[in-house]
Amino acid sequence: MTKNMNMINDTWEIGGKTLQSRLLIGSALYPSPANMSDAIQISGAQIVTVALRRQSAGENAGGDFWNIIKSLGIEVLPNTAGCHSAKEAITTAQMAREVFGTNWIKLEVIGDQYNLQPDPFETVKAAEVLIKEGFEVFPYTTDDLVVAKRLANVGCKIIMPWGSMIGSGKGLMNPDNLLAIRKQFPELKLIIDAGIGKPSHATQAMELGYDGVLLNSAIALAHDPVKMADAFRVAVEAGRLGYEAGVMQQREFASPSTPTIGTPFWHQFKD
Amino acid sequence: MIRVSVNGEIKEIEKDLNITQLIKALEYKTKGFAVAVNTTFVSLASYEMTKIREGDTIDILAPVQGG
Repeated sequence: MTKNMNMINDTWEIGGKTLQSRLLIGSALYPSPANMSDAIQISGAQIVTVALRRQSAGENAGGDFWNIIKSLGIEVLPNTAGCHSAKEAITTAQMAREVFGTNWIKLEVIGDQYNLQPDPFETVKAAEVLIKEGFEVFPYTTDDLVVAKRLANVGCKIIMPWGSMIGSGKGLMNPDNLLAIRKQFPELKLIIDAGIGKPSHATQAMELGYDGVLLNSAIALAHDPVKMADAFRVAVEAGRLGYEAGVMQQREFASPSTPTIGTPFWHQFKD
Repeated sequence: MIRVSVNGEIKEIEKDLNITQLIKALEYKTKGFAVAVNTTFVSLASYEMTKIREGDTIDILAPVQGG
């Protein structure tokens, strides 16, 4: 079996959809709309995040951007970025469902403006209401196991812990915490959202057994976003393949890989 | 005339307009936006029956790039 065959067979399900790519990509911060479009396509991502903002009369009401996204033919995941309460997030989600025609919502309720850390209390509150209203909630949260448990308790089938602060590019701050969430919730879809800065971070996330990674800045702010999108495509595939192949156990001591039997010159000059 | 806030700007509009009439009065030409009044979502199906009152806060949101 070739490497390509391996990846083609690796489908997964999320939010009622069967997908091949485990990379979720953002649509913000690119040098140009054309660059954004190229990067998204090269990345192979089948889910792209979008947002809602105030629009003045006379403008094209976001039509140009939305037309580009629609032309890509991939799933759209609207976010509630900028919301600071459950009430704001619920209203934004309801508006997004009407505009984008999807019940998927990336639930973000920010609790601190300095580090953009999610507010766990408001996030859980909003998730509970939105799930009752028929939304498929993709909640952005920290790497706190108890918060993940609360989100699962209110019905979340997907949980998206941060790797580190949004836009920081610092990678996975607490891999042990992320691993604990993975082990505690084998049945949930887990996606690392935020903090990924380079392809190796994405690979590391996938090697932990996460189902996917969601990132934006790492690609859009690269010197060459299109090339970086390609790098992340490969990195996510590599991490997933590595996870499926089963990473070796770490050992406390050195252990030679080359056979020791038949080693030439061994002890030859010992007196 | 009444005073309302539309996307953070104070505007004077006719009394007793519903959302459909407000959108027309504000000269929004294209579709593809959603409306909230006083931070509560108003669905497209409810535009006709939702009257704008003095002091209301109206948000009209459209698609943009997001992460």
